[in-house]
Amino acid sequence: MDIGKIACVAALAAGLAWGQAATLHGKVAESSGAAIANAQVEATSVATGMAQRARCDDAGDYSLPGLAAGRYMVTFSAPGFTSRSRQVTLTAGAEHELDAALTPLLSLASLGFPSSETQGNAKEQALLNRRSHMLHIHQDLGLITMIPLVATVVSGGFAGGRASHTGKRELHAILGTTTAALYGATAYYAIAAPKIKGVKKKGPIRLHEAMAWIHMPGMILTPILGAMAYSQRSKGERVHGIARLHGEVAIITLAAYTIALLSVTVHSGPVGHAASHSLHAALHLFGRRKPVAPVEGARP
Amino acid sequence: MRKWLGVAVLALAAPALAQAGSWQLLRSTLIYHVVHPLHHAEGVSHAARGKGVCQAGTCNFLVAAPVNSFQSGDTNRDLHMLQVTRGAQYPMVVVRVTVPQSALHSGTLKANLEVQFAGQDVHYNQVPFQVAAKGPDLTLSGTIPATLTDFKITPPELLMMPIRNQIPVTVQMTWGPG
Repeated sequence: MDIGKIACVAALAAGLAWGQAATLHGKVAESSGAAIANAQVEATSVATGMAQRARCDDAGDYSLPGLAAGRYMVTFSAPGFTSRSRQVTLTAGAEHELDAALTPLLSLASLGFPSSETQGNAKEQALLNRRSHMLHIHQDLGLITMIPLVATVVSGGFAGGRASHTGKRELHAILGTTTAALYGATAYYAIAAPKIKGVKKKGPIRLHEAMAWIHMPGMILTPILGAMAYSQRSKGERVHGIARLHGEVAIITLAAYTIALLSVTVHSGPVGHAASHSLHAALHLFGRRKPVAPVEGARP
Repeated sequence: MRKWLGVAVLALAAPALAQAGSWQLLRSTLIYHVVHPLHHAEGVSHAARGKGVCQAGTCNFLVAAPVNSFQSGDTNRDLHMLQVTRGAQYPMVVVRVTVPQSALHSGTLKANLEVQFAGQDVHYNQVPFQVAAKGPDLTLSGTIPATLTDFKITPPELLMMPIRNQIPVTVQMTWGPG
């Protein structure tokens, strides 16, 4: 046999072998679906240990033609990603598709955060939005309420006493009623705002809420006492009994309301520090006087 | 015999050498600053976790912290912050940092940051960080020049006055070989 014939037979054998070879192709992508360009694919024959390699194109596609039939361990790797291996059995002359999804080396999962902590919760967000919306209205109404509240207390100075006439008392009553109505609406938006579970309250909100235990009963009691005083004065009587405490209760209510307002608006920064010192000084004074008042009031 | 011992030592050292290219966040302090005409407030988080991988001369770091881990000492403010930043819907602030590996041991490095926060993906380029090495650990400190508009956050208001747009985030992180 001459060399030409040998070459011909070899080429024929190679052609036959190529015709029976398998092709492996596929796509390498991130778990999100984004293609990984330049990822390496290595197919190692389990039987022979021979390896063939290919690189992915920009679309993440690869192709390994001319593989002999048999079992292969296919390893996918790319810089910045965790390598992944899969076993595949190739049959002669067939095209096999094998895709791979690689996980980035640096991912939230690799940092150890549980998925419950990293996944969004639209329902909880809606709850927070509703809470903020209601507290925003609470804040605005609270500020607006301060105007008739102060006006009521100031007008109270002219509505009491023997020299006062009905017109001044009526103005005081109208302002008081307006204050009570606005206060009720303000309180509603705070009370009805959704509560967020598992949150331990810290900071100025505690003082703000504590003050409500003073100004809320005060806001209920003041108009009742005022109505009693108004009735007594209208009958030409001197204001007597618990109705006499109308003014004092109103002032305490205004003080508690003011502290509640300041506690959440001014408590840090240069202006806040000055206000905070004044507030503490006022509280100190108030604290000294506080025990005296009820004892005096309790005496017949 | 010596030759074989050398090979064995090299073989044992190989994983350690490979690991020199990976980093683990050991401790961190992240502080956001907000300024209102009546307030200066800060929210602090120590809950960040991070990893870094250096390959082919470039180091990639990933740092993440739950948005609700930032505490300002005022529950009301923290819940409001969580609401305006859409923190329940996007509960993590994720920062990806890219720096040249050679810059890690210099006094100052300039990093490219990709910050995922409040449902937005914002890039800050050439952000300066101070690097201090102590033994095998590195401490990075710097400030991310974040703004509310970057993340499409509506400025919260108090007494009808909004907070300032700038919300710089001060970062101090200590990294050790991972």
